[in-house]
Amino acid sequence: MSTQCLTNKKVLTKGNYAIAQAAVLAGCQCYFGYPITPQSEIGEFMSGKMQELNRGYVSAESELAAINMVIGAVSTGVKAMTSSSSCAVSLMQEALSYATTDELPVVLVSVMRGGPGLGNIYPSQGDYFQVTKGGGNGDYNLIVLAPSTVQECVDLTYKAFYLAQKYRNPTVLLADGLLGQMMEPVEFYDYPYPEIDTSDWALTGAKGRKSRIIRSYGPLAEDRCVFLEKLFQKYKVIEENEVEWEEINTDDADIVLVSFGSTSRNVKTAMKKLREKGIKAGFFRPITLYPFPNKRLAELSRKTKKFVTVEVNMGQMVNDVKLAVNGNCPVELIHKGVGAPPSADEIVLKIEELL
Amino acid sequence: MEKNFIIAGFGGQGVLLAGEVLANAFMLAGKHVTWYPSYGAEMRGGTVNCEIVMSDEEVSEVNKSDTDFVIALNQASFDRFLSKIKKGGWMIANSTLAKEIKTRTDINYLFAPITKLAEEVGNIKMANILALGLLAKASRLVSIDTLNQALDTVIPPHRKNLLPLNMKALKIGYEYDLLPV
Repeated sequence: MSTQCLTNKKVLTKGNYAIAQAAVLAGCQCYFGYPITPQSEIGEFMSGKMQELNRGYVSAESELAAINMVIGAVSTGVKAMTSSSSCAVSLMQEALSYATTDELPVVLVSVMRGGPGLGNIYPSQGDYFQVTKGGGNGDYNLIVLAPSTVQECVDLTYKAFYLAQKYRNPTVLLADGLLGQMMEPVEFYDYPYPEIDTSDWALTGAKGRKSRIIRSYGPLAEDRCVFLEKLFQKYKVIEENEVEWEEINTDDADIVLVSFGSTSRNVKTAMKKLREKGIKAGFFRPITLYPFPNKRLAELSRKTKKFVTVEVNMGQMVNDVKLAVNGNCPVELIHKGVGAPPSADEIVLKIEELL
Repeated sequence: MEKNFIIAGFGGQGVLLAGEVLANAFMLAGKHVTWYPSYGAEMRGGTVNCEIVMSDEEVSEVNKSDTDFVIALNQASFDRFLSKIKKGGWMIANSTLAKEIKTRTDINYLFAPITKLAEEVGNIKMANILALGLLAKASRLVSIDTLNQALDTVIPPHRKNLLPLNMKALKIGYEYDLLPV
């Protein structure tokens, strides 16, 4: 059953509701979740809407159960998702590792809050490592999309479902407490991507065909090597085709500010304020955190004099920028441990101290 | 042009809802707008606030270091946000619950007995919307017509019976004699 978006009118919508509504419009057939601030509105919305549309909704007994329910559902070829936050996403790491080797299109929305441990419910970007480096075992990557506005919460939710199915790889929409709780005018529209045929792998009952099995167990060393080479061949294709970023004023920039998610909004304004002061600043925002825009950053590192990453964590993405830049120029970090992003003026002040 | 507004008060005074109505009004007027709440271990009786940033272009920033307008529905909010107001900005305060003291001389004050006026409208819960009427008059950035439309957008179908009273509160706030400011 599909839902059509009947209006192109802008609606003032909270980030969490925007994600949930977009998931419904993307054709998500099953939602499994366990409530946690600051993303509880997603489950709340789904609890009503999925029932109304005769789709699946389960309020799971734990996050561990929820993500494994998603694995079960997507194994049958349908679109399914869960959503959670930080300390509870920790509980899902094992299943995410399994889903990469099972090659299953799991969609996870992670709305970051303060950590480590139980932490607090304020916005944070402290789970960059959690989703890009993985807390699960083995060699794997999750596709990670990082929205910076409520409209992008909609756009990238659609994209998350598409990429997950296109590459049969778990995909994460990485938002944060600020985006989840924020309201902005958004436009909903019909799912803009082609539907992916899952009939050649999905478990749909073996009537009239040979039975299939999806499992992560690879007991033979040699076979496993072959599988991993194949898996990483897929990652190479993803890295070649799906990198997305935004950049402004980087052509003549002496200093390039790199930031993702909600923090990047203030960083963009800080760049403009630096320009007004005669400092040649540029702005670079990775939209896909995996695949990371390594190549473009490497190109820029041959033209610019310095990179500064701005993050609401103790410095995580800065490591990926350093790897991309590979010593071509210095990479500095401006950070705040947890909470709403630093204001543009605060960022400008700190950058002036670095110059 | 970009302006920002902080609406603050006790949990339960309808601070977040007033912000939502204001943000909807700006959206209906074709502006870019962002609304975000303070949230944390808030509870009824504690303080709560939200910020609305309205802009002709893409909203430049969240968690701004200063603000153009503050609506303070209680004393704690008045005390907390007074220093955040830009030079020439506005403090719109509920004199039923906050003292009329003008410690800063570089901003505009509008003291009105918002809670008392709301009681006269017939429902103390209308204080938040009444305050938006005052803001509309003082700021000249949003019209009463647009705010009425925004109320209609925000109030859900099963609460539409409250629409006329909210519109009345808005009107009374708007028509409150601003003199002497």
